[in-house]
Amino acid sequence: MTEKPDVSKWKELAEKELRGKPLEDLTWKTPEGIDVKPLYTAEDIKDIPSADTLPGFNPYVRGPKATMYTGRPWTIRQYAGFSTAKESNAFYRKNLAAGQKGLSIAFDLATHRGYDSDHARVVGDVGKAGVAVDSVEDMKILFDQIPLDEMTVSMTMNGAVLPILAGYIVAAEEQGVSQDKLGGTIQNDILKEYLTRNTYIYPPTPSMRIVSDIIGYCSENMPKYNTVSISGYHIMEAGADSVLQTAFTLADGLEYVKAALSAGLDVDKFAPRLSFFFGIGMNFFMDIAMLRAARFLWAEIMSEFNPTNPKSSMLRTHCQTSGWSLTQQDPYNNIIRTTLECLSATLGGTQSLHTNSFDEAVGLPTEFSARIARNTQIVVQEESQICKVVDPLGGSYYIESLTNGIIEEVRKILNEIKDLGGMAKAIESGMPKMRIEESAAKRQARIDQGKDVIVGVNKYKLEDEDMLDVLEVSDAVRTEQVDRLKKIRAERDEKKVTETLEALTKCAEEGGNLLEACIPAMRARATVGEVSDAMEKVFGRYVATTQCISGVYAAEFSDSEVITSLRKRTEEFMEKEGRRPRILLTKMGQDGHDRGVKVIATAYADFGFDVDISPMFQTPEEAADMALENDVHVVGVSSLAAGHKTLVPQLIELLKEKGSDDIKVVAGGVIPPSDYDFLFEKGVTAVFGPGTVVTESANKVLNALEN
Amino acid sequence: MNKLSTKDYIDGVLACDRRVLAKTITLIESSLKEHQDQAKKILDELLPHTGGSIRLGITGVPGVGKSTFVESLGVYLVNEKKKVAVLAVDPSSTRSGGSILGDKTRMEKLSVLKNAFIRPSPSSGTLGGVARKTRETMLVCEAAGFDVVLVETVGVGQSEVEVSEMVDFFMVLMLAGAGDELQGIKKGILEIADSIIINKSDGDNVENAKKARQEYEMALHFLQSPSKLWTSPVQTCSALNNSGIEDAWNTVISHSEKMKEVGEFSSKRTKQSLSWMWSMVEEGLKNRFNNNERVKKQLPGIAGKVENGMTAPTVAAEKLLSLMDKGYI
Repeated sequence: MTEKPDVSKWKELAEKELRGKPLEDLTWKTPEGIDVKPLYTAEDIKDIPSADTLPGFNPYVRGPKATMYTGRPWTIRQYAGFSTAKESNAFYRKNLAAGQKGLSIAFDLATHRGYDSDHARVVGDVGKAGVAVDSVEDMKILFDQIPLDEMTVSMTMNGAVLPILAGYIVAAEEQGVSQDKLGGTIQNDILKEYLTRNTYIYPPTPSMRIVSDIIGYCSENMPKYNTVSISGYHIMEAGADSVLQTAFTLADGLEYVKAALSAGLDVDKFAPRLSFFFGIGMNFFMDIAMLRAARFLWAEIMSEFNPTNPKSSMLRTHCQTSGWSLTQQDPYNNIIRTTLECLSATLGGTQSLHTNSFDEAVGLPTEFSARIARNTQIVVQEESQICKVVDPLGGSYYIESLTNGIIEEVRKILNEIKDLGGMAKAIESGMPKMRIEESAAKRQARIDQGKDVIVGVNKYKLEDEDMLDVLEVSDAVRTEQVDRLKKIRAERDEKKVTETLEALTKCAEEGGNLLEACIPAMRARATVGEVSDAMEKVFGRYVATTQCISGVYAAEFSDSEVITSLRKRTEEFMEKEGRRPRILLTKMGQDGHDRGVKVIATAYADFGFDVDISPMFQTPEEAADMALENDVHVVGVSSLAAGHKTLVPQLIELLKEKGSDDIKVVAGGVIPPSDYDFLFEKGVTAVFGPGTVVTESANKVLNALEN
Repeated sequence: MNKLSTKDYIDGVLACDRRVLAKTITLIESSLKEHQDQAKKILDELLPHTGGSIRLGITGVPGVGKSTFVESLGVYLVNEKKKVAVLAVDPSSTRSGGSILGDKTRMEKLSVLKNAFIRPSPSSGTLGGVARKTRETMLVCEAAGFDVVLVETVGVGQSEVEVSEMVDFFMVLMLAGAGDELQGIKKGILEIADSIIINKSDGDNVENAKKARQEYEMALHFLQSPSKLWTSPVQTCSALNNSGIEDAWNTVISHSEKMKEVGEFSSKRTKQSLSWMWSMVEEGLKNRFNNNERVKKQLPGIAGKVENGMTAPTVAAEKLLSLMDKGYI
């Protein structure tokens, strides 16, 4: 018998195969800062404390439950909502009949930001990126024939979290379901809104009070309800790598725990009802390890507070496949991407999952694409037999090493945040946001150079793309909502509305539980906007300060020829025109996704443009004024929430009216190709969909300016 | 918009047409000679209409909350029925030449007010260039009827001195927090400050701000203030909570009243005009030197000799300058 080879023998053999190239060349430096070697062996995991544990026991690396999917598979929970409550309700009921197990409600941006559908700032937003809910009446329609004592409902709401949760409670009450029977989750994770998604209403301090008021109220009255869903998803979608996602999410969680404790709550009373929400991207093994590492670290973090209930240290999570990883080009590939991400989430041990529709980079999902997305999970769950064993990858040399690598990297960032005085202070300092944006800009540069391969985008591109059907929400939704608002305002007991709203303002001013004070107001048919205003009187509306990084994109771009030639073009432009090409990047409406704008801003500045950035949430009028006052050559509108067909033509009209039709307009973001012609007709110079190489877009903008 | 005539520009600025005002500033900022020539003509015509505003320079290190302060002050002034122009200079990258002009994102409330006009400008080119552009833009804003012109600068290096030399009042924003910071600040900056504002005096930072105020007061004690008649005060404020803004502004008013009383207000402006003239002469000389055909031709050779140690720098400089003589005398 031959001697069993050891690692040194393997090295010899490997180096021979490499024909003289050093073995180190095969080490992959991940964006997370973890070096991944070509081979892992028993050597690598012998000193790792997290590598030899059991599921169901602290530190829960292998899963929060002892039996995991062998006992009960993960919950298939598809996030959806659009148009009116009536249409969304019909959609939900159809999906439940087709095998979906839980509801997950997407609200429109007007609702998120606490505006009623008839508010002047939300003309392009009503019913677009989610369902419009203005009052309890809408909420009742939304859950019509859906028994709220049986169905767990997850609601993605952070800004207008109080009127929405209160509205849900009242809708259930009028269905005959008492509060203690309600099960589900409210996102209620305001900290990450300041980091990425920007659907906040109030400043951080009163917002943190709202979070702890909700935790407090629910721990008394709604024992089955998850009070916060601490979300890394949006942090990842904003461009964070897996280590950043984990670190910032756990740090947010820790901040909520501290807030609840300082509000006088007992850790075991609320901590078991905290849940998490992670985003899963295309880095297959990395994100499996990420979920395992997150569970380990949460148990470690919670041990500081000496909980006696094991559930207090247990990280339970929902996951969603990455929307950013989806491409507009050759979009059926997205089904494959989502399948891989689905596997990654489930091998990582998620408790519930949303799989994205393949057309989400193009527009809103259709019934067809929503079915494929749902079936992606069902096929994995019911056909592939992966549910038969708990944590099947446990003990893998690679997975355990990677889990440990993430744990170590995340700890470093957590310590940094601790030194800054906790996550709230860190957010104030701007550190997390800068890190995320830096990571996003680097990633974009890697993609634009083809270092990160994306099939159909930077490799194996199609000559001709097929046009996809997308769901279009008509502007008539707004009219319908506005009519219903009028009706409600005409029929309700105005005195009662005023009284309850005044009581709410007083509660905001003088103290008391805000959720408790919102319920009577919603019951009296006060609207989401009115309830939000009643608190805004005391709290004010938060205005973000925008910081922007520079130089990152170009630094990641090793093939500098493209950049050099762009810089030459902007230089030539200046010699001819007397100044550099100047572009205003703006976001109109209530869509707060600003990653795109930030990446474009830093990249264009690196190319030699002068880049103006507008505040968030502009009206077309404000954007037009800013464009002409700053005297830019071109306005770039970023749209990710289906407002482009209303707002962009308005902007062009206003520029014309104000005598500034020399200012060109380009648009980018999630814009269905079928809308391109419409936009061109309205006067848009160029449209850049997802997957556009940033350097190419800059060349096109310059072409347009030189004409 | 069709191409404007010089008269269109002048009429537009005087009527405070925002589009024309914006276009005029673009002309001033342009590096093209024809634009600059037209800008000069426009400025010449506008000059009789200038001088009516209070010119206020504001500086502070990055992170001090300058933009938030400018926004709070601006909103306060507009509420006081004043028309406010804000000129903000953002640094251009030395590598790409491009810039990110994000000031308006930090002045969301001010930027939508009809009586406010904010113009962010890239610093591109030389510092002298920024100074000229800013001065001229300031005059255009005055001609357009703005009562207060705020000039915000980046807060590092030489630009403060230049800005302080074009404004009536120069305000320096500081942060509370330890003495080591105090040591890090250039003495020069405190010497040109007409007032020092300790910003972010809010939340758990109020006590720190008070302490910092005392420290700065001590420090100022040993320094010369910009005018003999004026002791530069140190004030605290929270731009975030809108406290201390009115006090900061009242200081500006009492300063200009005092200076007007003794005639120093206008004599300062006269002095500034003269020093502007001289800096324009310097810039002009430099430009002529750089554009001189003989210089262009011989510069590489002469510089090469200096590099190789074959010619002494003084001799080389003398030689280069003499090339100009032949051209212009």
